[in-house]
Amino acid sequence: MRRFFHFFFKDYLILTFAIGLLVAGAGRSAFAGAGPASGIKEYKQNISTAEYEKRYNAVYGKFTEQMAEQGNPAGFVLDDGRDLFKKVEGSAGKSCASCHGENGEKLEGVAAAYPKYDPAIKGINTVALQINRCRKDHMGAPELKYESYNQVALELYVKSLSNGVPINVSIDGPARPFYEAGEAYYYKRQGQLNMSCAICHVKYAGHMIRANLLSNNRHHADHWPGYRLKWGKTGSLQKRFRGCNKKVRAKPLPFQCETYRDLELYLTYQANGLPVEVPGFRM
Amino acid sequence: MRKGKITALGLALAFLFLFLPAAALAGGNAADGKKVVDTKKLGNCAACHVVPGMEFPGDVGPNLVEAMKNYSEKDRTMLRERIFDERKFNPDTIMPPFGTNKILTSQQIDDVVEYLLSFNNKK
Ligand code: HEC
Ligand code: HEC
Ligand code: HEC
Repeated sequence: MRRFFHFFFKDYLILTFAIGLLVAGAGRSAFAGAGPASGIKEYKQNISTAEYEKRYNAVYGKFTEQMAEQGNPAGFVLDDGRDLFKKVEGSAGKSCASCHGENGEKLEGVAAAYPKYDPAIKGINTVALQINRCRKDHMGAPELKYESYNQVALELYVKSLSNGVPINVSIDGPARPFYEAGEAYYYKRQGQLNMSCAICHVKYAGHMIRANLLSNNRHHADHWPGYRLKWGKTGSLQKRFRGCNKKVRAKPLPFQCETYRDLELYLTYQANGLPVEVPGFRM
Repeated sequence: MRKGKITALGLALAFLFLFLPAAALAGGNAADGKKVVDTKKLGNCAACHVVPGMEFPGDVGPNLVEAMKNYSEKDRTMLRERIFDERKFNPDTIMPPFGTNKILTSQQIDDVVEYLLSFNNKK
């Protein structure tokens, strides 16, 4: 269907997706009902975890198989990310590799703890944000436009250095108010259609909204950046935020704004314990 | 004689007064209502409900063909209120407040009501 699909990517065969789903199933039940009290009345999923898994696999299972056969087009982007990591840019005459190891060895496992609170910005730092901070502060290179090809490729490469490492973001201490802001946004009714993220992705998870099965948010933050058929390209988690904002006719926010970084922390915390598995692949 | 005439006129007026609003409310058109229900940018009801003739309906809300069996002409006002703003019946509903948030016009809601009530007349 797309010419990308003729290629094979043995390294990142998206078996990871299938494994991720299984692990997510196990993790999800252990996780049920967790989450700190912040005054928000959290939803419970309408249907049981077992029933949810059954429905999820019935709808997306075949797609997963197909994917494993055909490979993930985001593999190209990951390759380009590796090249960019080694490319000298900016007035300091450095590449990312100059400071973080030839292949980024010093950043292995690091992204599993992101997003995280950073006192230097008195807020939540994301991998995407840190890339631009390093370019500006340490390389003397211009910041990359968020969601541009190079920015996504670098984010993907840095995150891939944590593949298989269990996500472990902290919401303790100074991170706490930002987590709570993320949760408040997740539960806020928005847009002309007046829906919250949570009503679709928690309460009605496992139900069909038209031809789409609503997924549970436990498994939302472990596989982006990823390739999405509907986009026809590789994008970030925050691109999904904007898409879902538009779905309810709410105003999408700018990439990497404070609210989206808080939201990313909230969603990534829901995925704590699951391995990082990038690039993802979705319909 | 005269008195009788006046009474008759009064009765006729009272009759009109009583039934005019109902007649006005009944000013919907079922065929237009079907279009509103089926159009993605308008009602998009099949996102959550089974409605006649729509493929791949959602299952977030009840099957509307089945649900309408519990509705009759006397429930018209209530049905209209639900579509106008379901929060009146369930404050935490996922169903969009079609009237309050001006997703649909008043006329479109009347048309939808007419269409839904017509389910019971078929077959
Ligand atoms: C001149 C050295 C230097 C260069 C070049 C550099 N960084 Fe950094 N990087 C740092 C320092 C120092 C930190 C610690 C935080 C800070 O000061 O911003 C850091 C932090 C990071 C972190 C977070 C590490 C952690 O433990 O939380 C990531 C991810 C990162 N850099 C990625 C990159 C990428 C991608 C590039 C290339 C676009 C790059 N860096 C270029 C010096 C550098
Ligand atoms: C009307 C229901 C609805 C609302 C409200 C909604 N979404 Fe979604 N969302 C979907 C659908 C449908 C998909 C695609 C299928 C799926 O994975 O659930 C999706 C997908 C996603 C994904 C990708 C899931 C994956 O597997 O990678 C993320 C992340 C996401 N939504 C976040 C959000 C956020 C954040 C909000 C609130 C700003 C939100 N959604 C609001 C319906 C909704
Ligand atoms: C986002 C999902 C959603 C959409 C879109 C939606 N509904 Fe609903 N609707 C529901 C849910 C869920 C209920 C069950 C009651 C509740 O939770 O408030 C419901 C209940 C109803 C009821 C009451 C049924 C009964 O059992 O008495 C009617 C009538 C109805 N909807 C009509 C409509 C019409 C007409 C449209 C399109 C104009 C529509 N709905 C669009 C979710 C939706």
